Amino acid sequence: MSGSPAAFVLRRTGRGLLTLAAVSVVTFLMFFAVPRDPAAAMCPKNCDAARLEQIRAQWGLSDPVAVQYAHYVRGVVAGRDLGRAQGGYCPAPCLGYSYVNGEPVIDALARALPVTMSIVLPAAVLWLALGIGLGVAAAARHGSPVDRMIGGFSLAGLALPLYLLGSMFLLLFVYQLGVLPYPHYTALTESPLAWASGLVLPWCTLALLFSAGYIRLTRAQVREAMSADFVRTALAKGLAHRRVVRRHALRPALVPLVTAAGLDVGAALGGTVITEVTFGLYGLGQVTLDAVREDDLPMLMGAVLVAALVVVAANIVVDGLYARIDPRVRAR
Amino acid sequence: MLRSPGLLTLARLRRDRPAMVSGVAALLLVGLAVAAPAVGAVYGVGPEETFAGDLDPYGMPYGVSGGVSASHWFGLEPGLGRDIFVQVIFGMRTSLAIAGTAALVATAVGAVVGGVAGYLGGWADAAIGWLTDVLLALPLLICAIALIRPLELHLYGPRDPVPGWFRAVTVAGLFGGLGWMPIARLVRGQVIALREQEFVTAARASGAGARWIVSRELLPHLGAPVLTGLSLLLPAFVAGGAALSFLGLGVLEPTADLGRMIYRSLGYLQTDPAYVVFPSAALFLLVFAFSTFNEGLRDALDPRALR
Amino acid sequence: MRHRSPLALLLILACLGACTSHERGTELPSGGPQAPVTGLISTDPAESRGPAVPVPGATPGGTVTVIRQTELTRLDPQRIYSFLGLNASQLYARRLTTFADSGAGRVTLVGDLAETPGTDLDGDCRHWEFRIKEHLRFETGAPITAADIAYGIARSFDLSLTGGPTYLQEWLAGTPHYESVFDFAADRSALPPGLTVPDPRTLRLRFARPHCDLPFAAALPFTAPVPAALDTGLDYNRRPVSSGPYKITKVVADKEIRLERNPYWEPATDAVRHQYPDAFVLAFGPDPATQTNRIIAGHGADATAVSWDGVDPSLIARVVNDPALTDRLLRAPTPSHNTLTINTRRVTDLAVRRALNYAVDRDGLVKALGGATVARPVTTLMPPTTSGWRDYDAYPAGPTGDPAAARRVLGGATPELVLAYPDDAEGQIVATYLRGSLERAGFRIRPKAVPATTFLGATKEADNPWDLYPGTWAADWPSGAAILPALYDGRGIKPEGSNNGTSYLDARPLDAEFDRIMTMRPERQPPEWARLDERIMRDYAPVVPLFVEMECTLHGSRVGGLFVDSIFGSPAFVNAYVRK
Repeated sequence: MSGSPAAFVLRRTGRGLLTLAAVSVVTFLMFFAVPRDPAAAMCPKNCDAARLEQIRAQWGLSDPVAVQYAHYVRGVVAGRDLGRAQGGYCPAPCLGYSYVNGEPVIDALARALPVTMSIVLPAAVLWLALGIGLGVAAAARHGSPVDRMIGGFSLAGLALPLYLLGSMFLLLFVYQLGVLPYPHYTALTESPLAWASGLVLPWCTLALLFSAGYIRLTRAQVREAMSADFVRTALAKGLAHRRVVRRHALRPALVPLVTAAGLDVGAALGGTVITEVTFGLYGLGQVTLDAVREDDLPMLMGAVLVAALVVVAANIVVDGLYARIDPRVRAR
Repeated sequence: MLRSPGLLTLARLRRDRPAMVSGVAALLLVGLAVAAPAVGAVYGVGPEETFAGDLDPYGMPYGVSGGVSASHWFGLEPGLGRDIFVQVIFGMRTSLAIAGTAALVATAVGAVVGGVAGYLGGWADAAIGWLTDVLLALPLLICAIALIRPLELHLYGPRDPVPGWFRAVTVAGLFGGLGWMPIARLVRGQVIALREQEFVTAARASGAGARWIVSRELLPHLGAPVLTGLSLLLPAFVAGGAALSFLGLGVLEPTADLGRMIYRSLGYLQTDPAYVVFPSAALFLLVFAFSTFNEGLRDALDPRALR
Repeated sequence: MRHRSPLALLLILACLGACTSHERGTELPSGGPQAPVTGLISTDPAESRGPAVPVPGATPGGTVTVIRQTELTRLDPQRIYSFLGLNASQLYARRLTTFADSGAGRVTLVGDLAETPGTDLDGDCRHWEFRIKEHLRFETGAPITAADIAYGIARSFDLSLTGGPTYLQEWLAGTPHYESVFDFAADRSALPPGLTVPDPRTLRLRFARPHCDLPFAAALPFTAPVPAALDTGLDYNRRPVSSGPYKITKVVADKEIRLERNPYWEPATDAVRHQYPDAFVLAFGPDPATQTNRIIAGHGADATAVSWDGVDPSLIARVVNDPALTDRLLRAPTPSHNTLTINTRRVTDLAVRRALNYAVDRDGLVKALGGATVARPVTTLMPPTTSGWRDYDAYPAGPTGDPAAARRVLGGATPELVLAYPDDAEGQIVATYLRGSLERAGFRIRPKAVPATTFLGATKEADNPWDLYPGTWAADWPSGAAILPALYDGRGIKPEGSNNGTSYLDARPLDAEFDRIMTMRPERQPPEWARLDERIMRDYAPVVPLFVEMECTLHGSRVGGLFVDSIFGSPAFVNAYVRK
């Protein structure tokens, strides 16, 4: 058994690369499964068959799908020349040239990714803190009014759609009271204050809603662990209640919590379309949405691959954390 | 003690008043949704009937609270002028059918796949893990576009309208097929944790077969994560359906849809709040009742937590 | 009960809803002028000279922000075709001619770079000359000559620089396949056939066929000058060289474009533009409802901002009933004309087409779209802003349609028709409403959703399988010549499909009429087009005219001089200034 951390990371990375390859193939195939013609969108007002053919040839759209895919992969790995119409040579990792925006895909993604990360990561810290904190509090005071209140809060959080709460917050805090600026993205490096004040509304909205699931999960897991024999033994031995909760009951709860958090953060980083649309922020989610709407294959492929990369990375982190929490996982 | 576990659960559930109240409420809402055409007939308004005459030149309903009256209990939609009560009832039917089917499919698939992965381990676990990774990394949006349009082109002629239920079924299948991974993850984690616990090890040591271990030692402990997951998926799928509708990929007009209705109503928060309140409240009550009932049910299924 | 907090929340929401009351009143929205544009081509060269008449009360300084949901991706003047592109490029791209617009319907086509709106040398609309003004400079300080304008026109032949209008290319080449006649990429110093520069201040164009509308076409930004030495091909799109009062100083994709004063612009050469604000910022992202809310709130830069996408229909009731906002509201009809187009190849029975015209409930449809500030019913083929437009109703059925009259015309028949529509939000609403109103008149309508991205292309295929579909057309200049021949001349239909009109009307008796009017002097054409408009509707009914879109947008309290231009029906920036 190769239990060393290095081997573990290596194995997981290999699997991640395989996943990315599969995702890219499937996306490519799905794009062409739909009868659509990106060339038609680029054709001027008086378009006709001959003109269309010319544009297809110029953008490499008349090649078979497999050849186009091979070109694409070569670009990602080694870079490739895209021709005059697409900005000339494109160094590795070349994600192609947007049909619509007239710029290399990687430029657009490099702008969008920090926006999404700035929305999701601080929000995730907030929602985890809120979720685990309230969940433990509820479990520790099982059956008390506090437990009931937290339970009600979490159920309400599950039942409220994000766009509804977000719109109400916008109306209240931005348009009516004017205490917060309209959500906008400023680079953290440019001005930390503007960064935070521009994003505090989406953070709070996401945290309030996403914490609901974590409250319930934490509460259920902690309560279950509290009833397990070893915890009961610890309590019987006279150890302090709080210490028992922290030491013994929370630890088994971490496995499902880490799983859920990893999946949520990974998925959210891949694109929080609804959050971005609700608050008018232009991140990966909106890039993907626009690419789909505009039939922009290179942009779509780029966005999907970056999103997949983030999800895969999150999975590796989750698995790594598993191994730390529960050494038996690594031994397998 | 000769009472079966099922009866015991029921008895415990009946003592939990919030669970019972919310259970009745959920049943009532589901009943209303299922009987939507009958309710509409009794109420006297069809789902596609418009009342443009009761709208002002800007398309806003006359009267109190967005046109609430004896004949229009929840008022009228701004713009099209349809009856909101009827739209809500029919919309609930669509949203529930999609989200419910999808959640059941996803939970069933997730529980089976996650359980198999966790119990068997080894290469089966690795293969399923990889498949899960791939599916998780595929954006739902792209799958929706790649699935819905070619399917419709294939099954319906260029002049044949695609019936509303077809979209609903496709969307439900899509959510189910792409939404089972979180459940699988949860169940797998639980099974792995359980597999190593003393009572399972003990059962195995005492020579119990795999079937006995799965049915007697593992399955009873999976109820909680599965139900938690189910109650998490239901609202997620309702919201997802709304988002797809927004992009023209979900259920289309004139089939009523709660999610799409809420999405459209949001712009009217200031000008016609009643239009936002009624469908949002319906969705909120629906999910809230389901979640509360689920929680009670879970407590009843898992009495150790109450000991 | 257990969970109190969510119930309290619901209660608050319910109260919010109950607190509004809206009495049935007599209010009738006024919709700005509904009249054709007047004036048109200037005959007095003095009107083409600068400087422009000062805007009363305007002072220099400040920044005007234009907020729009989708990014403006085309800045290259030869590639611009969006309404925002056309209006924003006025700030940095001067053209051969341009419209001097009073903002109240009086429009004069004047020379911009040229001294006059063009000279028809032989009186047959085939050979045109433009004399270029003196003292014109690029933002680099280099003088603008006729050769720079000719180079701009030549580069519009390059197929990798697509997106812009193609009138000049097709007219010069004498064929829609203009790239087969002139290959720009092969020799970037050559000029297309028919385009000559006899001296640095003269530009001549010679066409094989008469094109009396050339002065109008020359107002599109593809006649903007481009310095050949600074042409970076595709990348020119990000940083075009300015010839107007502002130059592009910053482009952040997906987010904003910033324009600042161009010191080399000479006011004395320009009859329409001003240079009041220090800068213009085009900001992208927020949806229309957000734009409206932000401008009402007016925090910071939003006080000097204008919403490009207009007041969202959901907020119109809030905006028009707030007296404080009245003088910040810009309202005017646009040239975007919407029809229920009938595929005349499939629906060959004239009685059915006439019955459709009787059946449609335009009033209800307009309400469904957001009411009088969003759309206005129309029964003509040309939008009311068209020069020479005359109102008539060939199938009078009142504002909400006349199902009984439609049934009479149908004579007991109940035709089954497939109504195709784009599956976006607005398409669904239009189709839902049209279906309801047509079925009341006995039609059996089968609605067919088509992906919004492919809808337009699909209806332009001549053998498309649908009977009815919504159609829209916005002319590039307010003349019937840019509307009726483009949409209803059957000779323009190609084997594979149509460029423009999707009714596929192919009526021989109209051919001679189109030819007769097209070769008339532009100033004599308008009444002829108006007559032909009515004749096509009465004799063929190829569409059901539905509505023209209305512009209704809001600007901040500290910005002045904005108006809705009469050509494209969008906010114009040439007079904008910031109030102190």
